[in-house]
Amino acid sequence: MHNVKRNRQTPEALAEKKQREKSKIDEYLALTDDVLSRNKKQEWGDNAFELTQRLLQINPEFYTVWNYRRNILLNGIFPQSTPEQINNLLSSELSMTTTALKANPKVYWIWNHRRWCLENVPDGPERSGVPSMEWRQANWDKELFVAERMLDADARNFHAWNYRRYVLANMPTRRPETSELAYTSRKIGANFSNFSAWHQRSKTLVGLWESGQLDPIQSRDDEFELVSNALYTDPDDQSAWIYHRWLIGSGENKAQLEREIQLISELLQEQPDSKCERLRWLISQLLIILQGVWSHWSTISDFCSKIAPRIPKP
Amino acid sequence: MSTSLIVPLHVAYIRALGNSKDELSYHLSAHLRMNAVYWGLTALFVMGHQDALDRDEMIDFVMSCWDEEAGAFGAHPDHDAHLLSTLSAVQILLMQNALNRVDIDRVVKCAGDAFGETDTRFLYCAVNALSLLGRLDELDVEKTVAYIRRCRNFDGGFGAVAGAESHAGQVCVCVATLAILDRLDEVDQPTLCWWLSERQLPNGGLNGRPEKLEDVCYSFWVLSALSILGKLTWIDSNKLETFILSAQDTESGGIADRPGDMPDVFHTVFGLAGLSLLGYPALVDLDPVYCMPASIIENLGLRKGWKALQRRTS
Repeated sequence: MHNVKRNRQTPEALAEKKQREKSKIDEYLALTDDVLSRNKKQEWGDNAFELTQRLLQINPEFYTVWNYRRNILLNGIFPQSTPEQINNLLSSELSMTTTALKANPKVYWIWNHRRWCLENVPDGPERSGVPSMEWRQANWDKELFVAERMLDADARNFHAWNYRRYVLANMPTRRPETSELAYTSRKIGANFSNFSAWHQRSKTLVGLWESGQLDPIQSRDDEFELVSNALYTDPDDQSAWIYHRWLIGSGENKAQLEREIQLISELLQEQPDSKCERLRWLISQLLIILQGVWSHWSTISDFCSKIAPRIPKP
Repeated sequence: MSTSLIVPLHVAYIRALGNSKDELSYHLSAHLRMNAVYWGLTALFVMGHQDALDRDEMIDFVMSCWDEEAGAFGAHPDHDAHLLSTLSAVQILLMQNALNRVDIDRVVKCAGDAFGETDTRFLYCAVNALSLLGRLDELDVEKTVAYIRRCRNFDGGFGAVAGAESHAGQVCVCVATLAILDRLDEVDQPTLCWWLSERQLPNGGLNGRPEKLEDVCYSFWVLSALSILGKLTWIDSNKLETFILSAQDTESGGIADRPGDMPDVFHTVFGLAGLSLLGYPALVDLDPVYCMPASIIENLGLRKGWKALQRRTS
């Protein structure tokens, strides 16, 4: 359990609470027994379906019941339904999970059920005897909105970010990766400490570099500019430093390295010694790169002798 | 607030866990029961009180969760088999010296959750279980390592799936999996160890990723990865110990996610595991790769090159 404050209760209050809970417990156990015994008997009917919904509303983490519900759909309900009915059923399953997710945004089983629903949307409706994929298109497009709403509520919810990536990778008409880059810019602009957004940006950029849609050299320069804005705003923010370290890579680009050393020197000058904590490892890494790759470069040895005394020994 | 570990209170807390049948929350967590038994038993082992719970009752419970159709273990009687509960079952039976009760061939064939997840946690469960059962040869090692590689991020960390943000829990399971497979060469050690050491907050506690709250369970996820990579000294151990000890419930026993919150068996075992790795006096050595007593893992010939802090005598 997380984030539950300790609650010291008197023995009387505790006894009262247990009395109140007794009927809830009896109800819950009776419902559980009912559902699990039907599962054992492989009952795929409408009654069982309704019971699973009741149980999952009380306890959305009951993974066995999610499995059972999907089995009822697959083995009991779908075989007796037209494609249109299946589409409607899955749309209402998706609605049900949206409600569940708003209350339980971090429960894996709910997100999994959503994916299953999407993957089972039929190819129709048929237009002149050919599956039009319109149902899929409509359902998948909606999913991006769901992911965005969840991220608006909690920009660090990794379930929502994972889901967003899943939708982008699997929707029938793909969005261009450049629009995802813009999405991360918006999220980072809203909060420089949004590590999840920086992470997403690192993935999106690699995709754009590898596919040739962005020139890695120019792009890296743009990224250094973006991250230096973040660093000047808050030199203590680890997101920007970690991203910065990644951009430096193995330090082969001399011009970039020179420029970044300049930036760090300026920041160091403005910071009291206590703030070196955050920069300690990064600087030592840069020194390793510098000494290894550019050891004969006089600017580097100047820099090293200037900042080396300010690095606290680990 | 306590500045020392109140072992007798925690032993009593764990012994009393099965007595909460008059609390609704006990029944609502049935889907975690197998895990909870493993957490409780491991905690008792770390405190040197492994006989505090009845061995036969525990073995009977584990075997009552056998899912005959799937050939693996569920979390509770009549719950579907899952890798999470199957690993816990194997670990419990090993600690109770009762592995002969298991149909090992069937467990090895276990398909896990029928609706398919590729979360790296489940990869770890499979590799860990196969390793404990002496059946690692059943695994396609290259495929497993290749998938973990895809889950590696710009910060050196690992996510739940390819593309997912680094999270200390996922880092722990990926590093441990790579350790079991003798493939720690896949880890960007300097970068990852930096990211891990950045998890420590001014209050001494550890968080799971940037800008998140401290939580006792990260004492294990972060520390185990650091000890496998030989960099436990990169964390301030005094401050972390003080933090864990301050999260103890000095009335009812047990350890919570942070000071002032309700304790639970999950945070109890991971707080104790963290303390053991930090060399806290009078605790038993714990193997961070398997999260089990080190002596049991050594006897199986499975010990890898991890390093804990020296156990203090007082």
